Amino acid sequence: MLSVNQLNIHIKNRKLLQDISFNINAGELFVIIGPNGAGKSTLLKALTEEINYSGEINFQQQSIKQWTTARLAKTRAKFSQHHQQDIPLPVNEVVMMGRYPYFANRPGITDLKVVSESLKLTEMSHFKDRSYNQLSGGEKQRVHLSRIFAQLNNEFQEKLMLLDEPLNNLDIYYQHKVLKAVKVFVKKGNMAAIVMHDLNLAAQFADRILLLKDGKMIKYGHPQEVLTSQTICHVYDFPCKVMSHPLAQTPMIVFGEEKSASIIQNIQP
Amino acid sequence: MSLGIVLLIVAFIASSLLGVYQLNWNDFLLLFKSIFDGTVAVNPTDAYIFFDVRMPRTLLAIIMGAGLAVTGTSLQGMFKNPLATPGIIGITAGSALFAAVAIVLGSTIKSFLPEILHYSLISIAAFIGALLVMMLVYSISFKSGKTHVVIMLLAGVAIAALAEATTGFLTFISKDDELRDLTFWRLGSLGAANWPKVIILFTINLICLSFLLGNGKALNAMMLGEDNARHLGINVKKYHAKIIWLSALVVGTSVAFAGTIAFVGLIVPYILRLLLGSDYRIILPLSALFGSLLLLTADIISRTTLAPIEIPIGIITAFMGAPVFILILLQFKKAL
Repeated sequence: MLSVNQLNIHIKNRKLLQDISFNINAGELFVIIGPNGAGKSTLLKALTEEINYSGEINFQQQSIKQWTTARLAKTRAKFSQHHQQDIPLPVNEVVMMGRYPYFANRPGITDLKVVSESLKLTEMSHFKDRSYNQLSGGEKQRVHLSRIFAQLNNEFQEKLMLLDEPLNNLDIYYQHKVLKAVKVFVKKGNMAAIVMHDLNLAAQFADRILLLKDGKMIKYGHPQEVLTSQTICHVYDFPCKVMSHPLAQTPMIVFGEEKSASIIQNIQP
Repeated sequence: MSLGIVLLIVAFIASSLLGVYQLNWNDFLLLFKSIFDGTVAVNPTDAYIFFDVRMPRTLLAIIMGAGLAVTGTSLQGMFKNPLATPGIIGITAGSALFAAVAIVLGSTIKSFLPEILHYSLISIAAFIGALLVMMLVYSISFKSGKTHVVIMLLAGVAIAALAEATTGFLTFISKDDELRDLTFWRLGSLGAANWPKVIILFTINLICLSFLLGNGKALNAMMLGEDNARHLGINVKKYHAKIIWLSALVVGTSVAFAGTIAFVGLIVPYILRLLLGSDYRIILPLSALFGSLLLLTADIISRTTLAPIEIPIGIITAFMGAPVFILILLQFKKAL
């Protein structure tokens, strides 16, 4: 379990996050949503100690500050929003970095096997010998996702996967593919916290959702509780309607104004 | 790997035979045998040339080449840039500057120092110079985990200019024997090799390289950025400190013993990258081997082409290194 208690972050008098408290239970896929500047990425940065915070973060009943870097490397992994564009290595070597916590100098048989499994997960196997630098944005992203999956492929329990906007450059097919893979990972008794913008995907995959705005918790709970038209329209400051997804039976959010089409027609002479 | 070892052995034999005083293959076998078998009779001049002149020089080239190339590769990894080598970011220059000051002021300071420090005064000064420049360049070019390449290179230019001006000034005011020393500093030479130097450099490089050669994984992970490397269990700050101190030690000692030999740390990793890719787990150990090979070859060229005159080895390596420098710049242009 990951429990966050009274988390506060400020930089130069500007409050980035205020009094954030939530739990992620083992087996839960946790999604963080909110408009730009809400503090979503900052929250993930706090969970990986990339930023100074006050408050408590407990990971598996122990303050995260007491964990050693080496132990964390096998139980927690993070996908960052911005990637280094220049990594002059072949794809499988980049994914192999996810196995660095597990071997000293030469990768073992397990490491090689895990890398090839992880490449399959994002359908990057046929790119494995290609140079990372020659890939497109979405492909690079899939390489890093494979690296994250490779890093957490072990016998440990209650592992935590943190993904900061992992779907940005992916097409519909890979968005679902990746989220399904995360779901499978989580169902083995692990945890995942994902920052994303697509509310409908959040509704379909999340077990729990945290809605942030301007560094404050607006709502926290099951998708049905958080994704109501009143809350969403207010937080995103845009007209919307929530209905039931005809296929997935989850909440489905549709943004837009009813007469928007006629408005555009009126502008044209 | 095995190719490198074979080439190094060939260069080793060539280096011990070639020179103004010629030795041939049979002499070599005979001399080599005499090491293990005291009864083998050898010509005393041959033995002197072989054991007291060529051997220390050859070994010094091998050890120094390995050290310089590995520090070059490590710094490139740390600064995430193929131009970040001791020569270009000014570490060699800073080291030479401090050494030069120590030579000129040496006689004055010496009377205040305990005797044990007299011999190592220049080495210690060179090490301090290397360390100070390293820390300076590091602190101004690293900002929130990112390397500012332009600032890094400009810092190198500034420090090299300062060092050049100061050594020039010192040359101007110094007495004759000091002056001879200074020219040797600025262009580099392995001519002053002897057994004590070989043993000291061997000890220092052995310790430093044993810590640096295993950094391949860490240097690879740093390509992901500082935070991401940390998430993989790599303590980036610790590795940076390690690289800074050990590189300063290797470069400082090398400069103290052979002056400024430029570009070794630039050429070797460049060629290895070109042939084998950028995986530091591979190119870090290989750069030790090929650094040895490069410096030894350069030394053979320096003392045989215009024999009996020696061309300073720094000139030879500069001739090899400058084109590589330009090639790297051209690649940058493409990437921009």
